[in-house]
Amino acid sequence: MTFSDTAQAEGPSPFHEAATLEFRHVSKTYRGTAEPAIRDLSFSVPAGDVCVLVGPSGCGKTTAMRLVNRMIEMSDGDILLDGRSVREWRPAELRRGIGYAIQQIGLFPHQTIGENIATVPRLLGWDKARIQARVGELLELIGLDGDMLGRYPSQLSGGQRQRVGVARALAGDPPLLLMDEPFGAIDPINRDRLQNEFLRLQGDLHKTVVFVTHDIDEAIKMGDRIAVLKKGGVLAQFAPPAELLMQPADEFVEDFVGADRALKRLALQRVRDIDLWRAPLVHVGDSTRAAREQAAHSDVPYPLLVDANGRPLAWLDEDDLRGERIEPGAGSPVLAIDADDVLRDALSELLRSEVQYGAVVDRAGRVTGVLSVEIMHAFLAPETKGDLDTAAFERRTSDHA
Amino acid sequence: MDALVLAQSGSFFRDRSGDNSCVANNGICPRWAIDHFDRYVHPFFQHLELVLISTGAGFLVAFALAIAAHRRRWLVGPVTQVTGILYTIPSLAAFFLLLPLTGRGNLTAIIALASYTLLIFFRNVMAGLDGVPEEARDAGRGMGFTDRQLLWRVELPLALPAILAGLRIALTTTVGLAALAFYAGAGGLGEALASQKDFQTNIVLAGGLCVVMAAGLDALVLVAQRLLTPWSKARTA
Repeated sequence: MTFSDTAQAEGPSPFHEAATLEFRHVSKTYRGTAEPAIRDLSFSVPAGDVCVLVGPSGCGKTTAMRLVNRMIEMSDGDILLDGRSVREWRPAELRRGIGYAIQQIGLFPHQTIGENIATVPRLLGWDKARIQARVGELLELIGLDGDMLGRYPSQLSGGQRQRVGVARALAGDPPLLLMDEPFGAIDPINRDRLQNEFLRLQGDLHKTVVFVTHDIDEAIKMGDRIAVLKKGGVLAQFAPPAELLMQPADEFVEDFVGADRALKRLALQRVRDIDLWRAPLVHVGDSTRAAREQAAHSDVPYPLLVDANGRPLAWLDEDDLRGERIEPGAGSPVLAIDADDVLRDALSELLRSEVQYGAVVDRAGRVTGVLSVEIMHAFLAPETKGDLDTAAFERRTSDHA
Repeated sequence: MDALVLAQSGSFFRDRSGDNSCVANNGICPRWAIDHFDRYVHPFFQHLELVLISTGAGFLVAFALAIAAHRRRWLVGPVTQVTGILYTIPSLAAFFLLLPLTGRGNLTAIIALASYTLLIFFRNVMAGLDGVPEEARDAGRGMGFTDRQLLWRVELPLALPAILAGLRIALTTTVGLAALAFYAGAGGLGEALASQKDFQTNIVLAGGLCVVMAAGLDALVLVAQRLLTPWSKARTA
């Protein structure tokens, strides 16, 4: 996607729905300091992706984010939005085209929620009707009641304020969103909820997002791509979450990702994304012989009884298959697992229910396959015998030396 | 000096004649006050005019200084010192110092009174601007406000409670100080006070009007504050 002159004529925000973002050898050295805060940072984010900047405090992740909308001016290199240097805009105009949400939220205390959300549309000079429609739309998007519009920020809960902050950042329909620890000041339960809400929103909006956090779990959850920064603003690794977990580029990343990175992968992948076992599905009235036959040729040794709509009813064992035909009400209870669940939750359910197999169901409740502890094991297996293990081994031996 | 001033206020004669024993006994006489109230109307409005003009002028100057110092922080020290010195000059001395320059009359009084409000206004506007939450400023800038837009749409509205608090102090202080403005030949309730300073009813009445004026102005600003900053009250709701 390239910037065109015709788009510029339309207004101060000459971007597409989502912009590509590219850091090209960007450096930042603050006046009066010898060491750069950002050193030769290069990476590019495709349009519509969430790029998480993560690292320990002092790694320059917030600085890197603020270089994009020129809240901080870079010393060297360039940042391109849809192929065009951010330096080509006047700072205020550039910023009106980029959503901005920060940890402290920074809602204007003297303005109502409606006025706060309308900030950027007003700056862009939209007419009243359009602003009003947009504010209503956003309020619905973040799931707040219409009667909130006239309230002041001080009358809202922390979670509500955070939602309003996100709505305000989205108000001008920017193709790029900058978020600096947007959920950092929220309690863990509400943070989880807000993260999920944002992912759901992002699933519809497909904005390009630069998301800053110090929390690697949040980074893995939110990011399509993760840039891990070390002290001095050096890029340690730029990779999708799964790759970061499976192949950390160096010891720093490995330490930062944490010793439980195998478990983190479970939190990353969804049940529907992995190869499931095919279930031997049977119905009431089927012949027991056929059922036995079917189970024998399947990964799962027990036939799974389903209703006419394909919803799971029961597992059948030898005792249930004694008669000629399968009787209604036979068998033992089935654990149904949502195909949209992450593997960690699915494994947790298997362990808690003390069962070996779970029937994976789609949104309509139909069985799509079977998840077993063995599948989980196979999923984690490449890592346990891969090169990472030798790396760990080498570390251990070098410790001894 | 007294003789000169009293000679000037010849129209404001003492009337203790008649059979009113209260007046003769130099008591506090409601009857006399009601009968002679019209004598105080003109000085009252003269006084009010002095207060409003000098406070307004002081505000404009101090506000401009504060806006300048808000962006150029190095100005804060010098401005605070200069306005601080003006604030400490005894008001009578200020009137007499100005007399040779600006002559007797309103201008002298207004300049002196206005210079007293400078420190109050400057300090309060600065405090209000400094009290703006940094995150609101950062968010505003990050969303594309220019410095000027940020000042008028975010910083000043948020500084308003502090600014209005300064206005209340300045108004009540100036009402008191303006009672001395007659030394500069600007009239006002001070002149009424001084013209019959051994008649208790007069003292109570003129002094009382000063208090009423101060309280009234204070209440007006308070009401204005309620109306202008609905958000500051919303906190508790």
